[in-house]
Amino acid sequence: MMRALRALLPLALLALASCAPMVMVAPGPAAVRDDFSVTVDSIWNRLTYPGIVFMAPGASEIWTAEGIPLDVLAFYIGVREGDALGRVLERGGKPLASYRAGMTPHEIVELYEQLVTQDGSAFTLGRLAPHRFGGADGFRFEYALTRKHDGLALSGVAYGAVIGKRLTLMAFTAPRMYYFAKYLPRVEAMAGTAQIKY
Amino acid sequence: MPPRFAHPDPASDEGGWWSQMDREEQRLRASGFLIRDKALNEMVSGIACRLAGAHCPDLRVYLVRTPLFNAMMAPNGMMQIWSGLLLRMTNEAQLAAVIGHEMGHYLERHSIDRIRSAKTATAVGHYLGLALGAVRSSNAGHFANAADIALIAGFLSYGRDQEREADRIGLNLMTQAGYAPLEASRVWEQMLEEVRADPMEGEDFWRASILFATHPPARERRETLAELAGSAGGRTGEAEYRAALAAQRPAFVSDELKRRKFLQTRVLFERLLKAVPDDGEIQYALGEAFRMRDGVGDAQSALDAYRKAQAMRGSPPELYRSMGLLERQRGQHAEARASFARYLELKPGASDAELVRRYMASE
Repeated sequence: MMRALRALLPLALLALASCAPMVMVAPGPAAVRDDFSVTVDSIWNRLTYPGIVFMAPGASEIWTAEGIPLDVLAFYIGVREGDALGRVLERGGKPLASYRAGMTPHEIVELYEQLVTQDGSAFTLGRLAPHRFGGADGFRFEYALTRKHDGLALSGVAYGAVIGKRLTLMAFTAPRMYYFAKYLPRVEAMAGTAQIKY
Repeated sequence: MPPRFAHPDPASDEGGWWSQMDREEQRLRASGFLIRDKALNEMVSGIACRLAGAHCPDLRVYLVRTPLFNAMMAPNGMMQIWSGLLLRMTNEAQLAAVIGHEMGHYLERHSIDRIRSAKTATAVGHYLGLALGAVRSSNAGHFANAADIALIAGFLSYGRDQEREADRIGLNLMTQAGYAPLEASRVWEQMLEEVRADPMEGEDFWRASILFATHPPARERRETLAELAGSAGGRTGEAEYRAALAAQRPAFVSDELKRRKFLQTRVLFERLLKAVPDDGEIQYALGEAFRMRDGVGDAQSALDAYRKAQAMRGSPPELYRSMGLLERQRGQHAEARASFARYLELKPGASDAELVRRYMASE
């Protein structure tokens, strides 16, 4: 445990150095942007400047339960055709592939993988299956991510749906040891309450 | 060959550097990027040991999952070899050439000279932290920032004479161990092919590899090494190399695709296919490279590659899933349905089976 914490320290410092202010998300209905909402059963924290998070560059919004070095709940809301899911991590980096209407969940997972492995992290897809999400016939996938910065093993689960040609994705990533299992039931419950309003 | 090096006095400057390196090594040992595959580690360490002779007990080889061509050896005996290098070698002799070269620097204690000539403590810290821990600060396509690579390049740049010396020692070591010395020049010839494939990407590639950023030009080394090798024969160890790499290669290939350096990747895969023409895994990967680039005509090129791979040895079931996805995109519903069905037939317990069945139902 100490080793895990020590490994996380540089990231914690990065977050501090970058002044990542957070605001509380209280239990109850919570909106993400204007056209997505979930009901949460416990306290989460919303980052007000989400752009710095390597695990979710360019997400519409980022929440965390324990703090950014540990867990990231990222929302990508209403991605339009021709747009990338998130943003290029480094100035001058290779452009990300764009989302296209009609993409299969397999192809959308490839967009997600490309986004979160820009820093050289290693991604392995687990189960990918149909799943109701946000009132639509969407999909759910599980993944493992080895973080480049510290070699830490993370687990993740994501839920996606395409409504009116626009893609919405919600992805939770946390250390495989302890934290992922701790928050998974809450995240699953939250995903079950998702409403897409566009 | 010099006698084995004793652990330096902990109170000396060198002793301090060793402690820092030992700490970096501890981190490396715990890293999720360390490749723990037994067969592969035994093959690589075996080659390193055969080359190192009496120094073998001082040597620790770590295989690191990073899709770049790189190898390095620290003065404390820690050697790192990255997966991008392992994917690019076609036999044991080529790997022996790279290991021999790095060992040449070790035996001549070149990097101690480099650290000692660094002017400030900060510079030394950068050398130890960035160069040895490069696995942390680098990424698949480029380093976290240009300053990092400049620092590493600066601190690791051995002099040209040191490089020549390392090349000469490396060649001697591999020849003594019974490997065909001509393979050393092939390593550089292969890299030149990849770099020539796209000058823009090539430039980026040189920058992204510590080994390349700092060594003399590949062309010069290829020619010198070929000349030094002369007509001496020896073992290449192709079958042994392939067998040891087999379990890990799909992951290395997948990492290579994620670099999104299409032109280099294509040259690499085509070269590997030339060596083993019925390699279905690589033929499939070539198709994946086209599918992922997604440019004009790429879907057709990908489908052509997949069809070719069908009859080859070792092509994975996912080949049919990729075919189905492309056929679906092109509105070829009957073909897509058949491809998805074949995928499920070959991999009934696939973790995406339910979704693929849904694709079939909607075709």
